[in-house]
Amino acid sequence: MKVPPLESIFLNRAPRPEVRDLHRVLVIGGDGTGRNLAARLTREGFEVLLVGDTDDLQLPPGAGLLREATVREVQGFVGGFDVTFSFSSGSATERVGLVVAAQPAQNVPKYTDYGIHPAERVISLSELEAVLRSGGALIKPRGERLHVVFLCGLAGESDPGLFARVFDAIDNLCKTAVAQPYVFTRHVKVAASGLERRYREVREGGTLFFKFDAAGPVFAPTPDGLTIIFTDPLLGLEMELVPDLLVVDEYHQPPSSLKPLLDAIPSAAVTAPFLQPESTRFSGVRTPKVGILALGAARDNFGPDSAESDIAAAVVAASTLNLDENPPGLPGPPVIDPAKCTICLTCVRLCPHGAISFQKRADVDAVSCMRCGICAVECPMQAITLAPVAGEPDIMSKIAAGLAQARGAGKITAFLCTRSAARAMESAGARIRESFSPIVVPCAGTVDPLHILTAFREGASGVLVAGCHTGNCASIYGTVLAAGRAEQTRLMLEDAGVDPGRFMFTTLASNTPGDFIRAVLKLERNIQGIAPSES
Amino acid sequence: MKTDAVIIGGGVAGLWCAGELARLGFQSLIVEKRPYAGGHVGRYCCKATDQCQRCGACLLEDVLAEVEKSDRINCLLRANVLTAARTDGLFSLTLSQLPTRIHPDTCNRCGKCLDVCPVPGALERSPSDNTIFLNEESCLFYKDGTCQACAETCRENAVTLEGSAGELQVNARVVVLASGFKAFDPLEKPRFGYGRVPGVITGLELDTMLRTDNFDVGQGETEIRSVGFIQCVGSRDPKIGRNYCSRVCCGYALRLARLLRHRFPGMEPSMFYMDIQTFDRDFERRLAEASREVRLIRAIPAEIRVGSDNRPELIYQGPNEQRVFESFDVVVLSVGISPDPSLASLGEVFGVGANQDSFLGREHDDVCTGSSGVFVAGTAQGPKSIEETVSHAIRTAGEAASYLKRIDRGEES
Repeated sequence: MKVPPLESIFLNRAPRPEVRDLHRVLVIGGDGTGRNLAARLTREGFEVLLVGDTDDLQLPPGAGLLREATVREVQGFVGGFDVTFSFSSGSATERVGLVVAAQPAQNVPKYTDYGIHPAERVISLSELEAVLRSGGALIKPRGERLHVVFLCGLAGESDPGLFARVFDAIDNLCKTAVAQPYVFTRHVKVAASGLERRYREVREGGTLFFKFDAAGPVFAPTPDGLTIIFTDPLLGLEMELVPDLLVVDEYHQPPSSLKPLLDAIPSAAVTAPFLQPESTRFSGVRTPKVGILALGAARDNFGPDSAESDIAAAVVAASTLNLDENPPGLPGPPVIDPAKCTICLTCVRLCPHGAISFQKRADVDAVSCMRCGICAVECPMQAITLAPVAGEPDIMSKIAAGLAQARGAGKITAFLCTRSAARAMESAGARIRESFSPIVVPCAGTVDPLHILTAFREGASGVLVAGCHTGNCASIYGTVLAAGRAEQTRLMLEDAGVDPGRFMFTTLASNTPGDFIRAVLKLERNIQGIAPSES
Repeated sequence: MKTDAVIIGGGVAGLWCAGELARLGFQSLIVEKRPYAGGHVGRYCCKATDQCQRCGACLLEDVLAEVEKSDRINCLLRANVLTAARTDGLFSLTLSQLPTRIHPDTCNRCGKCLDVCPVPGALERSPSDNTIFLNEESCLFYKDGTCQACAETCRENAVTLEGSAGELQVNARVVVLASGFKAFDPLEKPRFGYGRVPGVITGLELDTMLRTDNFDVGQGETEIRSVGFIQCVGSRDPKIGRNYCSRVCCGYALRLARLLRHRFPGMEPSMFYMDIQTFDRDFERRLAEASREVRLIRAIPAEIRVGSDNRPELIYQGPNEQRVFESFDVVVLSVGISPDPSLASLGEVFGVGANQDSFLGREHDDVCTGSSGVFVAGTAQGPKSIEETVSHAIRTAGEAASYLKRIDRGEES
């Protein structure tokens, strides 16, 4: 996993909104999902602005529609996004409270992957669906039956959504023609409600399934189509099949119209082409930036029942936004000292949540800020500080106080991420607690080498930094930054004459107290192995 | 007691639903039959190798932390629903709650009671945090009053065996059925040798052993090296009434296999499958990675028997239709998600029918049940992964909240 590269700065130039209005929601995407979401949001009392091409002009009352408009830029923060659109006749900016990406996927047929070309008898699944929907004429069979071959995930993996579409197409096909369908695949994807049952019904209805392991079929062109040459996986016999119609499956790709939203979230440089990270930390349709939601194609969710599920999650997310600028138990929002800030834009580039905008100076939006503290430790001028949690001392005092109270073995200072290590510590039991003095931090990515050196200066025999596994960090790349900094720290310690074996960086999960205990014990052993003349 | 929503089941679905309802402004009461919340997920291990594998197990810790903090959520443990009636849109439920047998504040978790208990399973430790619980169904004291070994042994006086269940009345406007699933019992497929052939375990058992650090690979000649995962045990099997894919087994088996390789570098895992279901983004690449660490065999063994060396021996059809006999040190049956036996009575109490696969409610992951004011969340409705369960619970909370707002506006009865 990388962090956003230096070239990737999109400048959010809008200041924090003085008044936040969550009532107005921009839904990008005019197809079924977008329209249904617009209708549901309207029912729940939101005012919806729908952008996208739609054939259905029956919009819910109160929903505005912008047709043939393209979103160019998304500036600002939740409750006050300034979205710029371009039309054929010019451009315009609208203010909305929430932005929802609900565009359909780009369905890209896999012709090149199969080494074939579209032709009269070689079409994509979407095209077949369109013909069946409109009741148009299908190609004529060469013999008594219409032999239709469906390629499903032979090249490039498929998913239950694709198989549901293929089963539907087969059912519709058999209503309009005397057909013999075939499905050529590698794995039949049935991990969705009712799909296994449908698979068996389609098979019992006469569709032939060929499941390939190694070598797949070869397509040889003929004057009016092509021949499929393959080895039957079950019987091991060489076969040739001349389909009347070859239906090619498609990749679901995220639409290119996601770009302005990807730009608005710095960490999207790492999660692109999707708006939502794959991490389980992001439930439902939430993205790292508060107020921007991602459905379907924007988050790679393509099951046959996923649209309904995502629409419901979007309505809930829109209704449960937390605008609290001072959530209890968290440090204060970062404060940027204008005297030290050199406008290097490092904080703007690295904030995983897109909580920092830039006018004349970098400015933090307290509602969008998740208090991960990455900006504070990454700022090259050390211009950024986070106020400690209300009622608690600052981190330097905590380090000193913890060590002053510790006796003997307890002189390990452990910086523990609140989402993983701190919870693992709580389940680890009382006995291990005597070995270390814990400092709970919002993210491992906020532990500064200065804190680590301070701990050693205050008498720590060792320092542990523990955060979430790579891929499970709520700040996306907090762990990656922390791991990089751990390397720097070891070099600094060597220069300072401290054996780097006294320092350990590790990742673990909140449900693995065993890993936590093992890390502490291992560090203790390392420390004991170091000559006592070391200081 | 009055609340907005009663949620039957304190597993990840019930907990997450309560959390969302709280964010939406509503109160809930979770009714959990066990002495602890967390359901099945509390027994699953983290599958991370050098990176998170997105199994979702730690989502439970996230939601538990949130639920504990919330003042809109109450949780009753050791509680069950006896009856429910609905008048004028209001549910009145009678709950039964067993008293606390082992007091968590007094118990020092020394485990001496576990050592003296004559019945396996009557006392157990929670895999999450080592607290000790008593299961009355297995305990001799509740059968014939003959044994009080735990109470007599405990030096902290943390055990109270006397006292019977109390009853409580609760009024609620909405009910959420989130009672979870039962893992498929591999005894229903005797040819796989579970309980008969040593070394045959279920995926759930492996998960729990890894979670509690109880998976011992041994050393030298008896070291566990070859592990065979058998997929679709209790899934995609109409002959035994399981005409559905359990959705999670390909994912959990491959993640477990990779975790074993990561932790015990000498391990050689194999996986016997029919089809491999997609469970990750960019699955093509991920499956290719997995296939470099796990031997994938497209065949389901016909039988597992005790081999001549006392290890489990599998018999399956090889690529040229020949019969292959292969022994493993351990065989893991990837058991699927089956409907919990309590669903039938729960359905009766709340007027909710079973769907085609005998889970509760409707098809297509619907959260509405057709019974007014009654919703379903999680695997009670059908097989789902942990992430899918969380999405489902969010959806359920949304529907329940909309329904409650309609009641407030006088649009529902």
